[in-house]
Amino acid sequence: MSKPKKMNLNQKQNLSGWFFLAPAAIMIALMSFLPMLKALILSFKTGIGTNMTWTGITNYVRMFQDAVFMQSLKNTFLYLIIQVPIMLILALILASMLNDKHLRCKGLFRTMIFLPCATSLVSYAIIFRSLFAVDGFVNTILIKLGLLNTGYNFLAHPNSARIIIIIALVWRWTGYNMVFYLSGLQNIEYSVYEAAKIDGASPFKIFTKITVPLLKPTILLTAIMSTNGTLQLFDESVNLTAGGPANSTITMSHYIYNMSFKYVPNFGYAAAMSYLILILVAVLAFVQMKVGDKRD
Amino acid sequence: MKRKILAVLLATAVTASLAGCGSSATTGDTASTEAAATETAEAGTEAAAATGGDNSLTVWCWDPAFNMYAMEQAAEVYKQENPDFNLNVVETPWADIQTKLTTAATSGDLSTLPDIMLMQDNAFQKNVISYPDAFTDITGSGVDFTKFAEAKTAYSVVDGKNYGVPFDNGAVIACYRTDILEQAGYTIDDFTDITWSDYLEKGKDVLAKTGKPLLSCQAGESDVIMMMLQSAGASLFDAEGNPTLVDNAALKEVMATYQSLVEAGVLVEVNDWDQYVGTLNSETVAGTINGCWIMASIQTAADQSGKWAITDMPKLDNVDGATNYSNNGGSSWAVTSNCKNTDLAYDFLSKTFAGSTALYETILPSSGALATYLPAAESDVYSQPSEFFGGDTVFAKITEFAGKTPSNNTGVYYYEARDAVAVAITNIISGADIDTEIQTAQDTVNFAMGK
Amino acid sequence: MIKLKRVGQYAFLILASILSVFPLIYMLIAATNKSVDVIKGKMIPGNYLIENFKSLMAQQDVGGAMWNSFKYAIVLTVISLIICSLAGYGFEIYHDKGKDIVMNIILLAMMVPFAATMIPLFQMFSSAKLLNTTMGFILPTISTPFLIMMFRQSARSFPHDIMEAARIDGLNEISIFFKMFFPTMRSTYAAAMTITFMNAWNSYLWPKVIMSDAKSMTMPMLVANLKAGYVTDYGVLMLAVLLCSIPTIIVFFLLQKSFAEGITGAVK
Repeated sequence: MSKPKKMNLNQKQNLSGWFFLAPAAIMIALMSFLPMLKALILSFKTGIGTNMTWTGITNYVRMFQDAVFMQSLKNTFLYLIIQVPIMLILALILASMLNDKHLRCKGLFRTMIFLPCATSLVSYAIIFRSLFAVDGFVNTILIKLGLLNTGYNFLAHPNSARIIIIIALVWRWTGYNMVFYLSGLQNIEYSVYEAAKIDGASPFKIFTKITVPLLKPTILLTAIMSTNGTLQLFDESVNLTAGGPANSTITMSHYIYNMSFKYVPNFGYAAAMSYLILILVAVLAFVQMKVGDKRD
Repeated sequence: MKRKILAVLLATAVTASLAGCGSSATTGDTASTEAAATETAEAGTEAAAATGGDNSLTVWCWDPAFNMYAMEQAAEVYKQENPDFNLNVVETPWADIQTKLTTAATSGDLSTLPDIMLMQDNAFQKNVISYPDAFTDITGSGVDFTKFAEAKTAYSVVDGKNYGVPFDNGAVIACYRTDILEQAGYTIDDFTDITWSDYLEKGKDVLAKTGKPLLSCQAGESDVIMMMLQSAGASLFDAEGNPTLVDNAALKEVMATYQSLVEAGVLVEVNDWDQYVGTLNSETVAGTINGCWIMASIQTAADQSGKWAITDMPKLDNVDGATNYSNNGGSSWAVTSNCKNTDLAYDFLSKTFAGSTALYETILPSSGALATYLPAAESDVYSQPSEFFGGDTVFAKITEFAGKTPSNNTGVYYYEARDAVAVAITNIISGADIDTEIQTAQDTVNFAMGK
Repeated sequence: MIKLKRVGQYAFLILASILSVFPLIYMLIAATNKSVDVIKGKMIPGNYLIENFKSLMAQQDVGGAMWNSFKYAIVLTVISLIICSLAGYGFEIYHDKGKDIVMNIILLAMMVPFAATMIPLFQMFSSAKLLNTTMGFILPTISTPFLIMMFRQSARSFPHDIMEAARIDGLNEISIFFKMFFPTMRSTYAAAMTITFMNAWNSYLWPKVIMSDAKSMTMPMLVANLKAGYVTDYGVLMLAVLLCSIPTIIVFFLLQKSFAEGITGAVK
């Protein structure tokens, strides 16, 4: 192949690339970036309801003086740091266990482990709250085991309530992340595993030396998605604990929602808080991309 | 089989996308979405939003057994004079009414709103003040507001103008299990017209003898606190809308009372609404105090018929103006500014909810929707005994309570203040100082108000 | 030794399955009981299923809600899978600096909470006369950074030499996508389909905001209606919740083989 001809081909391919991504990119620009721009403008305004005036960066200063918002920031980061690693590791282990050709009832296991995220939030919230109630299942077990004398009200104490949110999140989203790992694992030759087994590699070694490195693109995907999902966490805070006791479990999105729809609406302030979330997620995602998005 | 389904779905996808790729990239995706959308677009653009002209009205409300039923019955009443009248009730949970109202009003497109919507009394002022353009002033609509208790209409009055037609009653009742009280040697009379300190003493006794607390409530919600506060005619705001949490003798007394009830085990906090109803239905508590609408939940345990009785709530001990009566919840009808045929809406409301005793006679027995329309209280239906509540004339009793309830200022920042108080009481129960916590709560409210 | 490991593997999976299935079992049992028994915590099946079913049918238009939910979820899933897989493929196969930057910018689009963009979005839809339409329902989530990135990440394992071979055979770029990429990436499509269907099926806030017609009610809206009143019938609620969960579970069950037992080897 001569050089100029190759350039030409590259240019042609480059153009096809843009052609492929144009519809999606245009839709995102219209459906996400346009409203985001409007929200950005709004974040420099203040007022009640529709009656808004310019205020500069007041909203951005205000949120750091807002005790409830700072509490929600702390809570959200706590969930992120503890829950995301546990969930992703668990999902990886489950996926690699279920990616075993010789396992029986694979389909049934997979479906059952996926069930939590398909189960409606309504029933899941009711069940979690009743499991951890003073006379609930968990307390009954703990008392029978002699670990407790009387029932402990898990949801009434800040730390135990936070732990319950973390347990609930792991429970609900592990199967979801497992789906991506299972699907990612299909792109790895099964013979690679067979060969490693014949060479006498331990399952742990296979997991760390083969599965994890080959799944890196998928792990990056799930890490970014989970970071984003956790920083925008809303459902669990609203439905499991209602943010309580005394705001000790409230998340940023929950507070933003209250600010828009429960309290006297202050959309400028809500928009400013939303932009803080964007900045936080963007920084974390950027770091993750730097670490994980290398083409070897 | 499974593969086939996948194949069919993917094939559809390919065809649609090929159609899209035919044209240029930009129009490509809209073309394919439109193709797919036209097949399925059945929800017409006109839809059910406010129906201009003709003889019909659209209403949003949320409880099929309660306010939706009442609305439909109202339509029947109105149809007797106006046979062409047509009412379209759209089931919309309260949280969604709030979200849709907020979204529509903020974006300036009110065309999605109905003609009439039901509004929680506690949110009325906030919404009218935040979105004045979304509501219609109905002061001069012909509705006779003097036929309602003043404490009730006050919720929907902003700047001296009426924006709502009162609907259901949230008068507070105290319900007790007479069989459990009996085991402890008490009758319902021992709990009538009492103070909270009597309640606490008797409650401890009942707990010791039967193992059952007198009261349960939802942790993190301030319903009980607000009921206690209003019973003394006190509020979290003054008439100008400034927060009055600090130096509020009634609030301090309420906090202290609540704390001692919890400490003694007479009041047990549960984590959510479902568990709260559970304590009533599964007989783990000997009573409850709430808005009269709680009777419907109590009555779902049909096997407990005859074992319940109602009376008034305890009053605060050391507060001026303390009474045994209060209010929790309740709602009113609002006419939106999207209503094209306001004459019809006014006429409908004034001839039904604000003018028809017959309507209230119909809806009371089957839905328990207790009117705030005063003339209805004189109806015979209100003096019917209730078998479930030991043959007592409960409706007459509640109407009497409602008439004696002191009014309170919800203010615009009601929900902020409620939540701040809920945080304060949670901390107080875990040992924090009352004055400090009330100060913090006031600071939180002030912060929210931008002060 | 190997047997022992197997036992451990099964034990772990069985434990995980039991923990996961518990709420579904609870729903099943609750759906057969009277409301009062559900609230009392009865954990044995009752004989109230038919009654609950009749009462649900009398109160709510379950058929209509099911139909709407299926309609929206399927239309949305099919279209968004096409648009996003094209984009993910474009981003990865033809990657260069410019496209990597665009990808990073696109990722930003998911990072703002929906509560903040909902009102501006509503404004746009109201001026475009898209309120109360299927288009209005599906457009905001038709192209998601998540799906694009998912396809981009999985396209990374698509062998480049295959493309070269195809080009030499005279296939143009679009044909390579449909004839080579599309069939090879079945497991990714199946996984993406499951997740997109589930998200579309469960979407609540946006549809609720733009749909004001009772006829466009979806299953999650129906469930929300059931717990809005002063009194909740928990038996009926749990039955509705169960009906609302089943389609996603079925979709998952039908598709799981496709994404979990992929066709490695077909690429070779």
